[in-house]
Amino acid sequence: MEKLCEASRRDYANPYDLKWPETLDQNQWCFSPELISIYGTDVYDKLSEADKKRLSFYEAVNFFSLNIHGEKPLSEGLAHRLYSKRNISLSPYLHHFLDEENKHMIYFASFCLRYAFKIYPDKKMSIPQEYVAGEEDFLFFVKVLIFEEIVDIFNIRMSRDERLVPIAREINRLHHRDESRHLVFGREIVVSLFKEYKDQWSKETLQKIRIYLAQYLLATWKEYFNPEVYKDLNISDAYDLTDRFFDSPVCRTRRIEISANCISFLLKNGILEKEPSL
Amino acid sequence: MNEQEVKLSLRKWIIEKNGKIQSEDLKPDTPIIEQRIISSLQIMDLILFLEKLRGNAIDVENLKPGVFRTIDIIYSNFFKGNPNGKN
Repeated sequence: MEKLCEASRRDYANPYDLKWPETLDQNQWCFSPELISIYGTDVYDKLSEADKKRLSFYEAVNFFSLNIHGEKPLSEGLAHRLYSKRNISLSPYLHHFLDEENKHMIYFASFCLRYAFKIYPDKKMSIPQEYVAGEEDFLFFVKVLIFEEIVDIFNIRMSRDERLVPIAREINRLHHRDESRHLVFGREIVVSLFKEYKDQWSKETLQKIRIYLAQYLLATWKEYFNPEVYKDLNISDAYDLTDRFFDSPVCRTRRIEISANCISFLLKNGILEKEPSL
Repeated sequence: MNEQEVKLSLRKWIIEKNGKIQSEDLKPDTPIIEQRIISSLQIMDLILFLEKLRGNAIDVENLKPGVFRTIDIIYSNFFKGNPNGKN
Protein backbone atom coordinates (compact mmCIF):
# COMPACT_ATOMS: atom_id res chain seq x y z
CA MET A 1 0.00 0.00 0.00
CA GLU A 2 2.81 2.38 0.90
CA LYS A 3 4.45 1.74 -2.48
CA LEU A 4 1.24 2.77 -4.26
CA CYS A 5 0.99 5.91 -2.11
CA GLU A 6 4.61 6.76 -2.93
CA ALA A 7 3.99 6.28 -6.65
CA SER A 8 0.90 8.51 -6.44
CA ARG A 9 2.89 11.23 -4.69
CA ARG A 10 5.64 10.93 -7.32
CA ASP A 11 3.16 11.26 -10.21
CA TYR A 12 1.11 14.00 -8.51
CA ALA A 13 -0.32 16.18 -11.28
CA ASN A 14 -2.04 19.53 -11.44
CA PRO A 15 -4.97 19.05 -13.85
CA TYR A 16 -4.98 22.78 -14.61
CA ASP A 17 -1.46 22.60 -16.08
CA LEU A 18 -2.68 20.79 -19.18
CA LYS A 19 -2.24 22.91 -22.33
CA TRP A 20 -5.49 23.01 -24.27
CA PRO A 21 -5.51 24.03 -27.94
CA GLU A 22 -8.08 26.76 -28.60
CA THR A 23 -9.81 24.67 -31.24
CA LEU A 24 -9.65 21.09 -32.40
CA ASP A 25 -9.33 20.31 -36.08
CA GLN A 26 -12.01 17.70 -36.68
CA ASN A 27 -10.14 16.51 -39.74
CA GLN A 28 -7.74 14.66 -37.43
CA TRP A 29 -8.08 11.45 -35.43
CA CYS A 30 -9.24 11.90 -31.84
CA PHE A 31 -9.80 8.17 -31.26
CA SER A 32 -7.89 5.26 -32.73
CA PRO A 33 -9.90 4.11 -35.75
CA GLU A 34 -9.52 0.42 -34.81
CA LEU A 35 -11.17 1.16 -31.44
CA ILE A 36 -14.15 3.03 -32.89
CA SER A 37 -17.31 1.18 -31.84
CA ILE A 38 -18.42 0.42 -35.39
CA TYR A 39 -14.98 -0.13 -36.97
CA GLY A 40 -15.15 -3.02 -39.44
CA THR A 41 -18.91 -2.78 -40.06
CA ASP A 42 -20.36 -2.08 -43.50
CA VAL A 43 -21.59 1.33 -42.31
CA TYR A 44 -18.09 2.33 -41.16
CA ASP A 45 -16.45 1.09 -44.33
CA LYS A 46 -18.76 3.26 -46.44
CA LEU A 47 -17.91 6.47 -44.57
CA SER A 48 -15.58 8.97 -46.22
CA GLU A 49 -12.18 9.55 -44.57
CA ALA A 50 -13.42 12.92 -43.31
CA ASP A 51 -16.53 11.34 -41.74
CA LYS A 52 -14.44 8.61 -40.14
CA LYS A 53 -12.33 11.31 -38.49
CA ARG A 54 -15.44 13.26 -37.46
CA LEU A 55 -16.83 10.02 -35.97
CA SER A 56 -13.55 9.57 -34.08
CA PHE A 57 -14.17 12.96 -32.45
CA TYR A 58 -17.66 11.95 -31.24
CA GLU A 59 -16.35 8.55 -30.11
CA ALA A 60 -13.72 10.38 -28.03
CA VAL A 61 -16.47 12.56 -26.51
CA ASN A 62 -18.48 9.42 -25.74
CA PHE A 63 -15.46 7.67 -24.24
CA PHE A 64 -14.67 10.63 -22.02
CA SER A 65 -18.38 11.02 -21.12
CA LEU A 66 -18.77 7.39 -20.09
CA ASN A 67 -15.62 7.73 -18.03
CA ILE A 68 -17.09 10.71 -16.19
CA HIS A 69 -20.28 8.74 -15.52
CA GLY A 70 -18.26 5.76 -14.30
CA GLU A 71 -16.02 7.86 -12.07
CA LYS A 72 -18.81 9.80 -10.34
CA PRO A 73 -20.25 6.79 -8.47
CA LEU A 74 -16.72 5.47 -8.03
CA SER A 75 -15.74 8.70 -6.24
CA GLU A 76 -18.91 8.53 -4.10
CA GLY A 77 -18.09 4.94 -3.16
CA LEU A 78 -14.47 5.76 -2.32
CA ALA A 79 -15.48 8.76 -0.19
CA HIS A 80 -18.06 6.61 1.60
CA ARG A 81 -15.38 4.02 2.47
CA LEU A 82 -12.78 6.52 3.75
CA TYR A 83 -12.01 5.81 7.42
CA SER A 84 -14.74 3.22 7.80
CA LYS A 85 -13.60 0.73 10.48
CA ARG A 86 -12.62 -1.93 7.98
CA ASN A 87 -10.83 0.48 5.64
CA ILE A 88 -8.72 2.58 8.04
CA SER A 89 -5.46 1.04 6.81
CA LEU A 90 -6.49 1.57 3.17
CA SER A 91 -7.54 5.18 3.66
CA PRO A 92 -4.19 6.85 2.83
CA TYR A 93 -4.38 5.23 -0.61
CA LEU A 94 -8.11 5.88 -0.96
CA HIS A 95 -7.26 9.60 -0.66
CA HIS A 96 -4.94 9.33 -3.68
CA PHE A 97 -7.48 7.24 -5.59
CA LEU A 98 -10.21 9.82 -4.95
CA ASP A 99 -7.92 12.73 -5.82
CA GLU A 100 -6.86 11.09 -9.08
CA GLU A 101 -10.42 10.23 -10.11
CA ASN A 102 -11.40 13.85 -9.56
CA LYS A 103 -8.56 14.98 -11.83
CA HIS A 104 -9.56 12.51 -14.53
CA MET A 105 -13.06 13.95 -14.57
CA ILE A 106 -11.56 17.43 -15.01
CA TYR A 107 -9.57 16.24 -18.05
CA PHE A 108 -12.53 14.43 -19.60
CA ALA A 109 -15.11 17.14 -18.97
CA SER A 110 -12.75 19.87 -20.21
CA PHE A 111 -12.28 18.05 -23.51
CA CYS A 112 -16.02 17.43 -23.96
CA LEU A 113 -17.14 20.93 -23.02
CA ARG A 114 -14.38 22.82 -24.85
CA TYR A 115 -14.72 21.02 -28.14
CA ALA A 116 -18.19 19.40 -28.26
CA PHE A 117 -19.94 21.80 -25.84
CA LYS A 118 -21.61 18.83 -24.20
CA ILE A 119 -21.20 15.63 -22.24
CA TYR A 120 -23.32 12.73 -23.46
CA PRO A 121 -25.87 11.94 -20.72
CA ASP A 122 -25.64 8.93 -18.44
CA LYS A 123 -28.46 6.44 -19.01
CA LYS A 124 -27.57 4.03 -16.23
CA MET A 125 -29.63 3.90 -13.08
CA SER A 126 -29.07 2.11 -9.79
CA ILE A 127 -31.87 0.60 -7.76
CA PRO A 128 -31.49 0.30 -3.97
CA GLN A 129 -31.22 -3.31 -2.85
CA GLU A 130 -30.40 -5.48 0.17
CA TYR A 131 -26.96 -7.08 0.42
CA VAL A 132 -25.58 -9.93 2.51
CA ALA A 133 -22.35 -9.35 4.49
CA GLY A 134 -19.45 -8.36 2.24
CA GLU A 135 -21.51 -8.35 -0.96
CA GLU A 136 -21.82 -4.59 -1.35
CA ASP A 137 -18.09 -3.93 -0.82
CA PHE A 138 -17.12 -6.79 -3.11
CA LEU A 139 -19.49 -5.68 -5.88
CA PHE A 140 -18.32 -2.07 -5.58
CA PHE A 141 -14.64 -2.94 -6.02
CA VAL A 142 -15.11 -5.64 -8.67
CA LYS A 143 -17.32 -3.35 -10.78
CA VAL A 144 -14.73 -0.58 -10.51
CA LEU A 145 -12.07 -3.07 -11.58
CA ILE A 146 -14.02 -4.35 -14.61
CA PHE A 147 -14.81 -0.81 -15.74
CA GLU A 148 -11.19 0.34 -15.35
CA GLU A 149 -9.63 -2.78 -16.92
CA ILE A 150 -11.57 -2.15 -20.12
CA VAL A 151 -10.96 1.60 -20.14
CA ASP A 152 -7.25 1.05 -19.55
CA ILE A 153 -6.83 -1.00 -22.74
CA PHE A 154 -8.26 1.95 -24.68
CA ASN A 155 -5.98 4.35 -22.77
CA ILE A 156 -2.83 2.32 -23.42
CA ARG A 157 -3.50 1.91 -27.13
CA MET A 158 -4.50 5.53 -27.67
CA SER A 159 -1.64 6.97 -25.63
CA ARG A 160 0.73 5.24 -28.09
CA ASP A 161 -1.19 6.10 -31.26
CA GLU A 162 0.75 8.79 -33.12
CA ARG A 163 -2.18 9.46 -35.45
CA LEU A 164 -4.17 11.04 -32.60
CA VAL A 165 -4.29 14.77 -31.88
CA PRO A 166 -1.80 15.44 -29.06
CA ILE A 167 -4.42 16.50 -26.49
CA ALA A 168 -6.37 13.23 -26.92
CA ARG A 169 -3.16 11.20 -26.60
CA GLU A 170 -2.11 13.14 -23.53
CA ILE A 171 -5.43 12.64 -21.71
CA ASN A 172 -5.20 8.91 -22.40
CA ARG A 173 -1.59 8.86 -21.18
CA LEU A 174 -2.38 10.72 -17.97
CA HIS A 175 -5.36 8.49 -17.30
CA HIS A 176 -3.40 5.30 -17.87
CA ARG A 177 -0.56 6.46 -15.61
CA ASP A 178 -2.95 6.64 -12.64
CA GLU A 179 -5.11 3.69 -13.66
CA SER A 180 -2.16 1.31 -13.66
CA ARG A 181 -1.91 1.88 -9.89
CA HIS A 182 -5.68 1.70 -9.40
CA LEU A 183 -5.69 -1.68 -11.16
CA VAL A 184 -2.97 -3.09 -8.90
CA PHE A 185 -4.96 -1.93 -5.88
CA GLY A 186 -8.26 -3.12 -7.36
CA ARG A 187 -7.00 -6.63 -8.17
CA GLU A 188 -5.63 -7.04 -4.65
CA ILE A 189 -8.71 -5.87 -2.84
CA VAL A 190 -11.10 -7.82 -5.09
CA VAL A 191 -9.23 -11.10 -4.51
CA SER A 192 -8.94 -10.42 -0.80
CA LEU A 193 -12.68 -9.65 -0.40
CA PHE A 194 -13.67 -12.64 -2.51
CA LYS A 195 -11.49 -15.02 -0.47
CA GLU A 196 -12.87 -13.60 2.76
CA TYR A 197 -16.56 -13.88 1.87
CA LYS A 198 -17.08 -16.56 -0.78
CA ASP A 199 -17.44 -19.37 1.77
CA GLN A 200 -19.80 -17.30 3.88
CA TRP A 201 -22.12 -16.68 0.93
CA SER A 202 -24.78 -19.22 0.04
CA LYS A 203 -24.62 -20.99 -3.31
CA GLU A 204 -27.56 -18.86 -4.45
CA THR A 205 -25.81 -15.60 -3.50
CA LEU A 206 -22.61 -16.65 -5.26
CA GLN A 207 -24.59 -17.64 -8.33
CA LYS A 208 -26.51 -14.33 -8.27
CA ILE A 209 -23.23 -12.38 -8.04
CA ARG A 210 -21.74 -14.30 -10.97
CA ILE A 211 -24.78 -13.71 -13.16
CA TYR A 212 -24.81 -10.04 -12.19
CA LEU A 213 -21.12 -9.61 -13.08
CA ALA A 214 -21.59 -11.23 -16.48
CA GLN A 215 -24.50 -8.83 -17.10
CA TYR A 216 -22.44 -5.91 -15.80
CA LEU A 217 -19.68 -6.66 -18.32
CA LEU A 218 -22.21 -6.61 -21.13
CA ALA A 219 -23.85 -3.41 -19.83
CA THR A 220 -20.42 -1.77 -19.57
CA TRP A 221 -19.78 -2.50 -23.24
CA LYS A 222 -23.19 -1.18 -24.29
CA GLU A 223 -22.14 2.31 -23.22
CA TYR A 224 -19.51 2.25 -25.95
CA PHE A 225 -22.30 2.01 -28.54
CA ASN A 226 -24.14 5.30 -28.15
CA PRO A 227 -26.88 6.18 -30.67
CA GLU A 228 -26.28 9.87 -29.86
CA VAL A 229 -22.83 9.51 -31.42
CA TYR A 230 -24.27 8.07 -34.62
CA LYS A 231 -26.96 10.76 -34.69
CA ASP A 232 -24.26 13.44 -34.39
CA LEU A 233 -22.72 12.00 -37.53
CA ASN A 234 -26.14 12.21 -39.24
CA ILE A 235 -26.38 8.44 -39.57
CA SER A 236 -30.07 7.70 -40.04
CA ASP A 237 -31.86 4.94 -38.04
CA ALA A 238 -29.31 5.38 -35.26
CA TYR A 239 -31.32 3.35 -32.73
CA ASP A 240 -31.87 0.35 -35.01
CA LEU A 241 -28.28 0.48 -36.13
CA THR A 242 -26.97 0.59 -32.56
CA ASP A 243 -28.46 -2.85 -31.88
CA ARG A 244 -27.14 -4.14 -35.19
CA PHE A 245 -23.64 -2.78 -34.54
CA PHE A 246 -23.59 -4.26 -31.04
CA ASP A 247 -24.62 -7.69 -32.30
CA SER A 248 -22.27 -7.73 -35.30
CA PRO A 249 -19.52 -10.40 -35.18
CA VAL A 250 -16.74 -7.89 -35.84
CA CYS A 251 -17.76 -5.73 -32.85
CA ARG A 252 -18.25 -8.78 -30.63
CA THR A 253 -14.79 -10.10 -31.53
CA ARG A 254 -13.29 -6.74 -30.53
CA ARG A 255 -15.14 -6.76 -27.17
CA ILE A 256 -13.84 -10.26 -26.45
CA GLU A 257 -10.27 -9.31 -27.36
CA ILE A 258 -10.28 -6.14 -25.23
CA SER A 259 -11.96 -7.86 -22.25
CA ALA A 260 -9.68 -10.93 -22.38
CA ASN A 261 -7.26 -9.92 -19.57
CA CYS A 262 -10.08 -8.87 -17.30
CA ILE A 263 -12.07 -12.05 -17.87
CA SER A 264 -9.00 -14.20 -17.45
CA PHE A 265 -8.37 -12.55 -14.04
CA LEU A 266 -11.99 -13.16 -12.95
CA LEU A 267 -11.85 -16.81 -14.09
CA LYS A 268 -8.42 -17.48 -12.58
CA ASN A 269 -9.61 -16.31 -9.19
CA GLY A 270 -12.89 -18.22 -9.34
CA ILE A 271 -14.94 -15.02 -9.34
CA LEU A 272 -16.51 -16.17 -12.60
CA GLU A 273 -16.87 -19.87 -13.37
CA LYS A 274 -17.29 -19.64 -17.12
CA GLU A 275 -16.62 -17.20 -19.94
CA PRO A 276 -19.41 -14.63 -20.01
CA SER A 277 -21.26 -14.14 -23.26
CA LEU A 278 -20.23 -10.84 -24.78
CA MET B 1 -47.83 4.55 -32.71
CA ASN B 2 -51.03 4.52 -30.69
CA GLU B 3 -51.30 3.54 -27.02
CA GLN B 4 -52.05 -0.11 -27.73
CA GLU B 5 -49.11 -0.47 -30.12
CA VAL B 6 -46.69 1.17 -27.69
CA LYS B 7 -47.79 -1.06 -24.80
CA LEU B 8 -47.63 -4.16 -26.98
CA SER B 9 -44.09 -3.31 -28.10
CA LEU B 10 -43.08 -2.72 -24.50
CA ARG B 11 -44.56 -6.06 -23.41
CA LYS B 12 -42.70 -7.91 -26.15
CA TRP B 13 -39.45 -6.18 -25.27
CA ILE B 14 -39.77 -6.93 -21.53
CA ILE B 15 -40.63 -10.61 -22.15
CA GLU B 16 -37.67 -10.97 -24.50
CA LYS B 17 -35.21 -9.24 -22.15
CA ASN B 18 -36.37 -11.21 -19.10
CA GLY B 19 -36.28 -14.49 -20.95
CA LYS B 20 -38.24 -16.39 -18.27
CA ILE B 21 -41.52 -14.61 -17.58
CA GLN B 22 -44.66 -16.07 -19.12
CA SER B 23 -46.73 -13.69 -21.20
CA GLU B 24 -49.80 -14.14 -18.96
CA ASP B 25 -47.79 -13.10 -15.87
CA LEU B 26 -46.94 -9.68 -17.29
CA LYS B 27 -49.88 -7.31 -16.80
CA PRO B 28 -49.98 -3.58 -17.56
CA ASP B 29 -49.72 -2.95 -13.79
CA THR B 30 -47.08 -5.60 -12.95
CA PRO B 31 -44.21 -3.89 -11.05
CA ILE B 32 -41.35 -4.77 -13.41
CA ILE B 33 -38.53 -3.20 -11.38
CA GLU B 34 -39.76 -4.22 -7.93
CA GLN B 35 -40.22 -7.83 -9.08
CA ARG B 36 -36.81 -7.75 -10.81
CA ILE B 37 -38.39 -8.59 -14.16
CA ILE B 38 -36.12 -5.85 -15.49
CA SER B 39 -32.79 -5.43 -13.65
CA SER B 40 -31.02 -2.17 -12.86
CA LEU B 41 -28.46 -3.07 -15.54
CA GLN B 42 -31.23 -3.31 -18.16
CA ILE B 43 -32.63 0.16 -17.47
CA MET B 44 -30.17 1.74 -19.90
CA ASP B 45 -31.44 -0.65 -22.61
CA LEU B 46 -35.02 0.20 -21.66
CA ILE B 47 -34.36 3.95 -21.97
CA LEU B 48 -32.83 3.44 -25.42
CA PHE B 49 -35.78 1.29 -26.45
CA LEU B 50 -38.23 3.98 -25.27
CA GLU B 51 -36.27 6.63 -27.17
CA LYS B 52 -36.50 4.50 -30.29
CA LEU B 53 -40.29 4.13 -29.87
CA ARG B 54 -40.76 7.85 -29.15
CA GLY B 55 -38.42 8.95 -31.90
CA ASN B 56 -36.59 11.34 -29.59
CA ALA B 57 -34.23 11.42 -26.62
CA ILE B 58 -35.37 11.25 -23.00
CA ASP B 59 -34.00 13.77 -20.52
CA VAL B 60 -32.48 11.34 -18.07
CA GLU B 61 -30.92 13.75 -15.61
CA ASN B 62 -33.61 13.68 -12.95
CA LEU B 63 -35.26 10.33 -13.64
CA LYS B 64 -36.07 8.05 -10.69
CA PRO B 65 -36.63 4.27 -10.98
CA GLY B 66 -40.33 4.82 -10.14
CA VAL B 67 -41.00 6.18 -13.65
CA PHE B 68 -40.39 2.65 -14.98
CA ARG B 69 -42.55 0.87 -12.38
CA THR B 70 -45.12 -0.69 -14.74
CA ILE B 71 -46.02 -0.69 -18.43
CA ASP B 72 -48.93 1.68 -17.70
CA ILE B 73 -46.69 4.08 -15.77
CA ILE B 74 -44.02 3.99 -18.47
CA TYR B 75 -46.66 4.85 -21.06
CA SER B 76 -48.02 7.78 -19.10
CA ASN B 77 -44.54 9.15 -18.31
CA PHE B 78 -42.98 8.87 -21.74
CA PHE B 79 -45.74 8.73 -24.34
CA LYS B 80 -49.05 10.15 -23.14
CA GLY B 81 -49.21 13.74 -24.32
CA ASN B 82 -45.53 13.60 -25.24
CA PRO B 83 -45.28 16.79 -27.28
CA ASN B 84 -42.04 15.82 -28.99
CA GLY B 85 -42.63 12.15 -29.48
CA LYS B 86 -43.88 10.51 -32.62
CA ASN B 87 -46.58 8.38 -30.96
